[in-house]
Amino acid sequence: MTEAKTIVEDAPSYLEVVEAPRWTCSLGGAYITTTAVYDAVPILHSGAGCGIAQLLGVYYAAGENAAGGQGGTSTPCSCLIEKHVIFGGEDKLRKLIDSTLQMMEGDLYVVISGCVPALIGDDIEAVVKEFKGKGDIIFVNSAGFKGNTFDGYEDFFGAVIDQLLEPRKQEKKVVNILGVVPFQHLFWKGDLNTVKELLAKLGIKANILFTQFDGVKKLKEIPEAELNIVLSTWNGHKTAKKLKETFDQDYISFPSVPIGPKQTSEFLRAVAKKLEIPAIEVEALIAEEERRAYRWVEYLTDAIIIGMPRPYAAFIGDTNTIIGITKFLANEAGYLPEIIQITDEPPEESRDLIIRELTDGIESVLKPEIIFEKDTFRIRENLRNRSFQVMLATSLEKWPAAKEFAVSHLSIAFPTYDRVIVEKTYAGYRGGTGLLEDLLSKYVGPL
Amino acid sequence: MQESEVHLVNEKIDLSENTCPNREERANGINLYYGKASDLVKDARAGKLKQCDRKFQQTSGCTLNFYLTVRVNTIRDASIIYHAPVGCSCPSLGYREMFQHIPASLGAPENYDLHWMTTSMNEKDMVYGSTDKLKAAIKEAERRYSPKAIFILTSCASGIIGEDIEGAVNEVQPDTRATIVPIHCEGIRSRLVQTGYDAFWHAILKYLVKEPKKKQKDLVNVASMLSYTWQDRLEIKRLLGRMGLRVNYVPEFASVEQFEQLSEAAVTAPLCPTYTDYLSRGLEQEYGVPYFMYPSPMGFANTDGWLREIAKHTGKEKEAEIVIAEEHKKWDPKLKAIKEEFSKLKPNGEKVEILGALGQGRLLAQVSYFDELGVKSSAAMCQDYDNLILEELEKVLETVGDFNILVNTFQAAEQAHINRRLDPDMTLTCPFQGSSYKRLKGVTRVHALRGDPNLWAQQSAYAGAVAYGNFLLQGFKSTSLQRTMKAKTKDGYRSWYYEQENPIFFIDNDEAVST
Repeated sequence: MTEAKTIVEDAPSYLEVVEAPRWTCSLGGAYITTTAVYDAVPILHSGAGCGIAQLLGVYYAAGENAAGGQGGTSTPCSCLIEKHVIFGGEDKLRKLIDSTLQMMEGDLYVVISGCVPALIGDDIEAVVKEFKGKGDIIFVNSAGFKGNTFDGYEDFFGAVIDQLLEPRKQEKKVVNILGVVPFQHLFWKGDLNTVKELLAKLGIKANILFTQFDGVKKLKEIPEAELNIVLSTWNGHKTAKKLKETFDQDYISFPSVPIGPKQTSEFLRAVAKKLEIPAIEVEALIAEEERRAYRWVEYLTDAIIIGMPRPYAAFIGDTNTIIGITKFLANEAGYLPEIIQITDEPPEESRDLIIRELTDGIESVLKPEIIFEKDTFRIRENLRNRSFQVMLATSLEKWPAAKEFAVSHLSIAFPTYDRVIVEKTYAGYRGGTGLLEDLLSKYVGPL
Repeated sequence: MQESEVHLVNEKIDLSENTCPNREERANGINLYYGKASDLVKDARAGKLKQCDRKFQQTSGCTLNFYLTVRVNTIRDASIIYHAPVGCSCPSLGYREMFQHIPASLGAPENYDLHWMTTSMNEKDMVYGSTDKLKAAIKEAERRYSPKAIFILTSCASGIIGEDIEGAVNEVQPDTRATIVPIHCEGIRSRLVQTGYDAFWHAILKYLVKEPKKKQKDLVNVASMLSYTWQDRLEIKRLLGRMGLRVNYVPEFASVEQFEQLSEAAVTAPLCPTYTDYLSRGLEQEYGVPYFMYPSPMGFANTDGWLREIAKHTGKEKEAEIVIAEEHKKWDPKLKAIKEEFSKLKPNGEKVEILGALGQGRLLAQVSYFDELGVKSSAAMCQDYDNLILEELEKVLETVGDFNILVNTFQAAEQAHINRRLDPDMTLTCPFQGSSYKRLKGVTRVHALRGDPNLWAQQSAYAGAVAYGNFLLQGFKSTSLQRTMKAKTKDGYRSWYYEQENPIFFIDNDEAVST
């Protein structure tokens, strides 16, 4: 393998100058989040390539997903060019919104504005206001230079809260699920629907917002929840705080979507406690689910023990995905995490919790080395001179895993171009076996 | 105005400039037209083509992100710096997987690493500028990857805030071993994605191509398009090899040295004429490397012509005729069999109609190829039009008569409309046409995933013409996917739109902008 030269001592003077960071810009984040709400129509006020870039770099990178009827090249876009830079893009946006209302059916139109209008000072709000009474239209100022995917996700909800939502009476046993960022978290569709089904078993109505046919209605129902459940150490927290301020909604958070039986039981207990659901009901459900789940794990144990018992493992990915998957494999399947690289640059204040989850939260004599690193070049360097046998990472690591490190590899985080992921999820009681099926399939064979 | 005064195409290339003129200026390019091809040609001749705006428009690609990114990415011993906010480079996240599925037995190198970095331009950069950061990125790329060239790809943001890219490059170049190649592909600079390709070739000519050390009489420059697969490369290499010639493929998967020696070749041959045009012109103007524009090696007659053109410039006429004869002997019966099968698809000798979304190159090359297959185009659909193809389009009109042409850069609604209205037996799609794949009749892809090493996916030369002919036939063997999806899922656009005569319903006549 051609190896790049060993890094010399001096660090680059600009920390954001990196190889292939694993996210898109805030416009991309707001845009893909919009397309996760069915019957919301995104309208890009941006350069012509801003949407197609997300098709190639987010939808396809999120388990080769097509972009649906509103996404990708179906997305209306003002396709700004130089003359708009000189004369302004507001007129173009006005015509675009008007024609989009005529062309495309939708319950909500979301104007997402990028770098160009931000730099030329278009008054998006004024243009959007002109369409008052012609349908629900909101705007998200999400210039690409302002942040990344995760910021765009929060920007989208910020706009929804400020421009769309009205106070409503809170309902008992109704919750919103936050913190799962569409596409950026690869298994978002399956994860959210699994969480919804799990909570339904306790009589809890979970509003998962995305992948629902009455998606805009679901958005409008956000204020009806008595509780917001944030399935992340840091994504969705800004939105939850804003909902707390705006609608006085309480929120609790979990380190990730629950992966496998242990995390799922823990999750159900905590939610039940918070919503004052009798423990006896919860424990009955848990006992039944666990009995089934572990009986099915029995089918896997020969492959685990003979195929590759207690392998040292390298984990690379975003915080949400890595916490759930690492804890499951370490705590229920005997894997030994050796190195964990967190790639989504969580804010400083969340890092203690993340580290605790991945050290104290793991039943292993050896505690993994945890590195926060977004630079794909350094991520590869950090893998050298170690002895892991398996890598759970992104498809960026697929070929280094094969050619440089000669270890088994499964793509579980963004970007993933080498798997097709639609309904697949590792969440819930069945998710753990699902993960082991996929992972073991990478290396099992005849004895 | 007399015809001689009408500006059709800039003949000269000016490498003292930082970048090329836009395709709008260079060849009166447009990306909005629907009507008779004969009218388009007439207007073009008279210098009357107007680029109008659309009120309803869809995201479709800019000069940077219409595959310029993922093309430059594949240059093997270079690295890229996107001087841009982080979203502009996300289409390149697949860079480490490019070409990896090609087995070493088919000539893929065992070891190569592709690299790109981004300056992740942020709010602070918008206020204070960020050429210092760009310079730091160049140094870092050099330190990490020791590349032979460092490409800088610019963005809307870097353009609007007026970053002095050349100033930064000139400052750091003396201390940098790699040749720094700034490409001006700010998305806002042009409506036409082909401007991005011209900008790329401009930078290649200006910074990378070296004075010839020696002329290599057996070297043929072939600028390959995205839609040519690994097997196409092998097939072209094989054919030219039998004529005693070697191929210098650029830009995909080339080494920097291959660009440096473009000036030494005997001829520049196109796979797509308008993609290659800027490079071809530049190499002739600066280094006397002759070129030709037509034909492209798609279909039998075109391939005959392509090989003969190359032969003319390399003194291999005799060899070319031998190769052509042998190939025909081998492949003619197979093409005939395909033609027969096509003729049986519809009753009463009716021809199968195929509608494809194409670049200008395919538009032209496909006409005679489809004729060889015994199929016809319902209409032409083209990403953009510019005068680089004017003469050739006139010739096509003389040969096949008039036809309707829809010029749009992946406008999904317009393409869904024309598909619905014309209802061809088969529609060829990139994945860029929204829901227009939902239909009762056929649909298949225009071209393969890059790096597909399968013989099935090839399209070039004789073997490719047969392979793609078979591939098209295969497309008629099942319609279950598109029929099911049509029946079971919603359409993206309201029904009134499909009732309109003209797919470009939302033309903005208030705002004609002269080209």
